[in-house]
Amino acid sequence: MSSQTGLSRLGAQLAPILIVCAIVFALPLVLNNDFLLNKVARYLVLGILTVSLALSWGFGGILNLGQAMSFGIGSYAMAMALKLKTVPVHTGPGGLPDFMVWNNVARLPWFWEPFKSLGFALVAGIILPALVAAALGWFIFRSRVTGVYVSIMTLATMVVLNLVIIDQQSYTGGFNGITDLAQLEVFGIVFDTYSRATFYLVASCVTLSLLVAFAFTRTKAGLVVQAIRDHESRVRYFGYDVAAYQIFVFALSAAIAGLAGMLYTIVMEFASPTFLGVQLSLSVVVWCAVGGRQSLVGAFLGAVLVAGMQGALSESAAFLETWTLIMGALFVLVVLFLPKGLAGLAHDIWLWIAQRPHAVQDTALGVGQTREGST
Amino acid sequence: MDQFIEQIVTGLSIGSILLLVAMGLSIIYGSMGIINLAHGEFVMLGAYTAWLFQSHFGLGLLASLVPIFIVVAAIGWIIERFVLSLLNNRPLDTILATWGVGIMLQQGVRLMVGSELRYVQLPQSLSDSMDVFGLSVSSYRVFLFTVTIALFAVTWILMNHTTVGMKLRAIMQDRSVAASFGINAKRVYGLTFAYGAGLAGLAGALVSPLKSVSPDMGTGYVIDAFMVVVLGGVQSLAGTVASAFILGELSGAIAFLQNDTVAKALVLLAIVVLIRFRPEGLFTTRVRA
Repeated sequence: MSSQTGLSRLGAQLAPILIVCAIVFALPLVLNNDFLLNKVARYLVLGILTVSLALSWGFGGILNLGQAMSFGIGSYAMAMALKLKTVPVHTGPGGLPDFMVWNNVARLPWFWEPFKSLGFALVAGIILPALVAAALGWFIFRSRVTGVYVSIMTLATMVVLNLVIIDQQSYTGGFNGITDLAQLEVFGIVFDTYSRATFYLVASCVTLSLLVAFAFTRTKAGLVVQAIRDHESRVRYFGYDVAAYQIFVFALSAAIAGLAGMLYTIVMEFASPTFLGVQLSLSVVVWCAVGGRQSLVGAFLGAVLVAGMQGALSESAAFLETWTLIMGALFVLVVLFLPKGLAGLAHDIWLWIAQRPHAVQDTALGVGQTREGST
Repeated sequence: MDQFIEQIVTGLSIGSILLLVAMGLSIIYGSMGIINLAHGEFVMLGAYTAWLFQSHFGLGLLASLVPIFIVVAAIGWIIERFVLSLLNNRPLDTILATWGVGIMLQQGVRLMVGSELRYVQLPQSLSDSMDVFGLSVSSYRVFLFTVTIALFAVTWILMNHTTVGMKLRAIMQDRSVAASFGINAKRVYGLTFAYGAGLAGLAGALVSPLKSVSPDMGTGYVIDAFMVVVLGGVQSLAGTVASAFILGELSGAIAFLQNDTVAKALVLLAIVVLIRFRPEGLFTTRVRA
């Protein structure tokens, strides 16, 4: 559209993000129920996770089936720090977590030591997933592995980490995960799961991750990443280091997922191997596809709506089974007929509404535009 | 020495089940480029059909193998016709679509039959054990191994010595050129998918006496089978066979030396490293186009 200036286009893209964030912040005014707010916070966190996948899949063209791995690492980093903060009632002698005492571990393992510092844990929850992803990305993209093979490698790596965590029960809590955590306390604010403070923390992180992800897609690096998605070898012929850009978007996406993982531990009050399980990882892909993988807000809303509906209906078991069936059907239909998800549908409807008054003019203009577009 | 042979036999047994499941997956992926995440659900459907025939019609497992193949193949054909054929040229989306289909199949069975475990009886004639290299092995496992090899032979002949197989290979090389020679690609794709699904159904029926039948029994098989396909190399049936038995022996051996979890983790890691250095698989000489 030639009539639109760059600035107004920026506004049009930024507006949905700002509106959604404003609604999220306004929710506590409407929902006067702490239990319900906690539930909503949980879906918002899953929304952040889905935004991180939209960044690597929708914009980078990297279908990461192991996105929950970064989520899980973040979640465990937070849980380890909070576990070491628990009052002695829950921990064994010498500050050992209770499950280690049960497993006859005498000393705190070396990789638990740094988590005595909350500051370290907060940084590690974001940096660690990013580093792991960068290393994995280096391994994958430097050899020019693409498409489906990337998905398999990410999925397999996640399953390996999941198996290791379950297997090393004495160091990780195994199948039970890490439970009985202290409450996060930063700068004198206590983040009780059922408090407004936690909700606003989650809401701020939603805003932050949406804005960071959006800002990245507008930078030059973000544009190169999208070009790689559309035509990898063409970008390579231009002289860009394709792998470096792919590794970067992969790591950035992992960092956001790690942030989501940390929040999830705060909201759920435990960390579990299921947080980096295949089930969750594939669900994120579904939410992302339903919401619209090429729209950050779309992916976010897709997760919140679908996960929220599932949560609301799961209270009756009979309904949940039917719901899963409907979910599957809905998902197949979206893949078949709405490859851009609900965001794409909303965009089309918006265009249709916006263009209706000028329908006559546009038929003439439209011909020229399609010709332009096809060359 | 005895222990060593026992390990090898265990590995062969794991390998033949892997191969049964992976063969259909390999044909579908190799020829149509579709990553069929619903494959495990075809295995599950096969097992449920076996249970249905046994408990409602009194048919033994051996007698119901052919009907099971036909039933699951028909379901596969319907899915290809109404879902996957709409997704031409969108290979990544087929992962999502087949996953959704898989959920629907799983949930559909759960709603109709219930989620309690079901059991299929061993055929009477195969319930004893026989002597192999001085080792007592259950006859059914020997039968399983034989059937697997036979099915592989049938598949190989179908692919390489029949008109349908030739058409399929032509489409694999270049779909539009094949179409211009009058080959109906849509029809061949439908048949291929149906055949792959039917094979998975047979696999499910054949493992059903060894394991309990439940709606989510298929999920474990897809990932393992997929690893077999990746290791063996796409478009290489012989590679699939070799990799199925290698993976079978490998996980049997590591499980014996360490434990199941370590075995699984190491096999997965090995596969990640393998894709990195040989994305075309261990047994293909063809360079990717």
